[in-house]
Amino acid sequence: MATITLSHIAKAYGSEARVIKDVSLTVNDREFVVFVGPSGCGKSTLLRMIAGLEAITDGDLLLNGDRINDHPPKDRDIAMVFQNYALYPHMTVYENMSFGLKLRHVSKAGIKERVTQAARILEIENLLDRKPKDMSGGQRQRVAIGRAIVREPKVFLFDEPLSNLDAKLRGQTRLELQKLHRSLQATIIYVTHDQVEAMTLGDRICVLRGGDVMQFDTPVTLYNEPANLFVAGFIGSPPMNFLPGKLMGTGNSVQFESESGTVCLELSAHPHRDVYAGNRGRAVVLGIRAEHITDRPGTFSHSQSTTVDALEHLGNEIFAYTMLEGVRFVARLPADSVMTINNTATLYWQADKCHIFDAQTERRL
Amino acid sequence: MIRKIAVYLLLTLAALSFLYPFVWMVSASLSSEAGIGSLRLLPVEFTWQNYLTVFDRIPLGRAFLNSVIVVTITTSLVLVLGALVGYALARLEFKGKQLVFFLIIFTMTLPFQITLIPNYITMVRLGWVDTYLALIVPFVMNSFAILLFRQAFMGLPQALIDAARMDGAGELRIIFQILVPNVLPTVVTITILTFMGLWNDALWPLIVIRNEQTMTMPQLVTLFSVGGRADAQLGVKIAAAVMLAVPVILLYLFFQKHFIRSMASSGLKD
Repeated sequence: MATITLSHIAKAYGSEARVIKDVSLTVNDREFVVFVGPSGCGKSTLLRMIAGLEAITDGDLLLNGDRINDHPPKDRDIAMVFQNYALYPHMTVYENMSFGLKLRHVSKAGIKERVTQAARILEIENLLDRKPKDMSGGQRQRVAIGRAIVREPKVFLFDEPLSNLDAKLRGQTRLELQKLHRSLQATIIYVTHDQVEAMTLGDRICVLRGGDVMQFDTPVTLYNEPANLFVAGFIGSPPMNFLPGKLMGTGNSVQFESESGTVCLELSAHPHRDVYAGNRGRAVVLGIRAEHITDRPGTFSHSQSTTVDALEHLGNEIFAYTMLEGVRFVARLPADSVMTINNTATLYWQADKCHIFDAQTERRL
Repeated sequence: MIRKIAVYLLLTLAALSFLYPFVWMVSASLSSEAGIGSLRLLPVEFTWQNYLTVFDRIPLGRAFLNSVIVVTITTSLVLVLGALVGYALARLEFKGKQLVFFLIIFTMTLPFQITLIPNYITMVRLGWVDTYLALIVPFVMNSFAILLFRQAFMGLPQALIDAARMDGAGELRIIFQILVPNVLPTVVTITILTFMGLWNDALWPLIVIRNEQTMTMPQLVTLFSVGGRADAQLGVKIAAAVMLAVPVILLYLFFQKHFIRSMASSGLKD
């Protein structure tokens, strides 16, 4: 059982501005939570504060209700897997995995049993006598995970553990981590800057920017109901298309009109039409994902005439790029779409799938 | 091809110019007194007599033991304290860190001769004259060792320290069980340089040690060679000098590979 609660956690180095501002969230027992955000957003700092490697400037860190702000790392019952593996170069795999257990005075037989078991789970039994320099990146990563597993900690922390692996191995290890989480039934906090990793691994995702939590929710909610422009732009690949404009209309009708009037999108069938109707006249930003723009008409579709200026054929789909009022737009089209560069084409926007954000607060309406 | 031969010839000559005096010294120590005058590389009228005379006249065995005790303890302490201070300067954050570091660097610029008299007075005041303490304590804080350890520790990834901390290691264990084993070339360099410096030092022991039973080898050999007890016998003096040089040469040969590697690279990277 391990529930971690961060209550108004803040971090500042000396007299400098706070790198973590005021973070409050709860990671439930056996939950897989991902901290995601761009470089410098404070996600690794937050993880290191939970680990006990960085002092907490303000706020309370609770593990199962007990305040652990001042507990040294070894007394927190938390294990961590580092980005560059951080294996001890002069020790064999067995020694690397057993080092922490020895310091906890686990019996020799106990150590052997735990290391062997972890090695079996991670399929590294044949590597136990090797030193880190004689192993590949993927193998080192497994050993680093093994070193955490043998400790049988309450909480696992992962700090960008896949970023040093090649794309293929990353995909494979991602699946294995999911499996591992199921078999260990452990609480995991995982840091990454890769939103695909975040979406595929996390039960819940905490999106951070500049030391602030932008949104903390399930991957599906983050994708379908981004709380603000930042989350909308960060989650999803390719990123969401944005177009500044205004909400217009009278009576039952509500429309989004772009600044130069090139786009006039009818929002009467949108699930949030009532909210939009109440904000007529407000400066807003329209957001629409590439997958909600196609070359085929459908229900609630808005047709938009445009000139495609670049195409990317990926085999299973095509990315079509256009410019609208000086803003780059991308559409994700089926592989059999027929498009030619620099010709006028009609693209259909799924109006009910678009998002409207307040231009000033950047929050979703 | 001709160029290659010329290079080899030049290198051979250079090697000979270094080796010749040493080979001659060994050869002369094994020659009779009358045969020493020649510059031959093989002993003239081979004899062990010079060595026997040395052992007969001075307590060289005792001096060897003294040197071993002093050099081993001092070198060990230089390594331990150098690693501790080097770690603090490389990895800990505290007020005045830079100042401490610059002070340590500054002491490296002071020639030993400048601190000779103040150090001697300190030894007298502490009552350490004619004891091992006078030979050990003034040398245990070695700024060069601190500097080398600091640089080596700075080259290791911080994650290594963090991982050890998560595993439950304290600062001392981190230093000596995790960091030091990963900067072995630095350890070897410091060991050899400290060992050689201490082993060959005659000046400081000459100042603080008067009791023959506490004298180190270089001190005793120097006193023996220039103090008249060798009866102006060159062969005996040379034999004493050979015995002084042998341990350092053996140590160097033993650690040679590490030494050259550590001079060529700054350390390990994960």
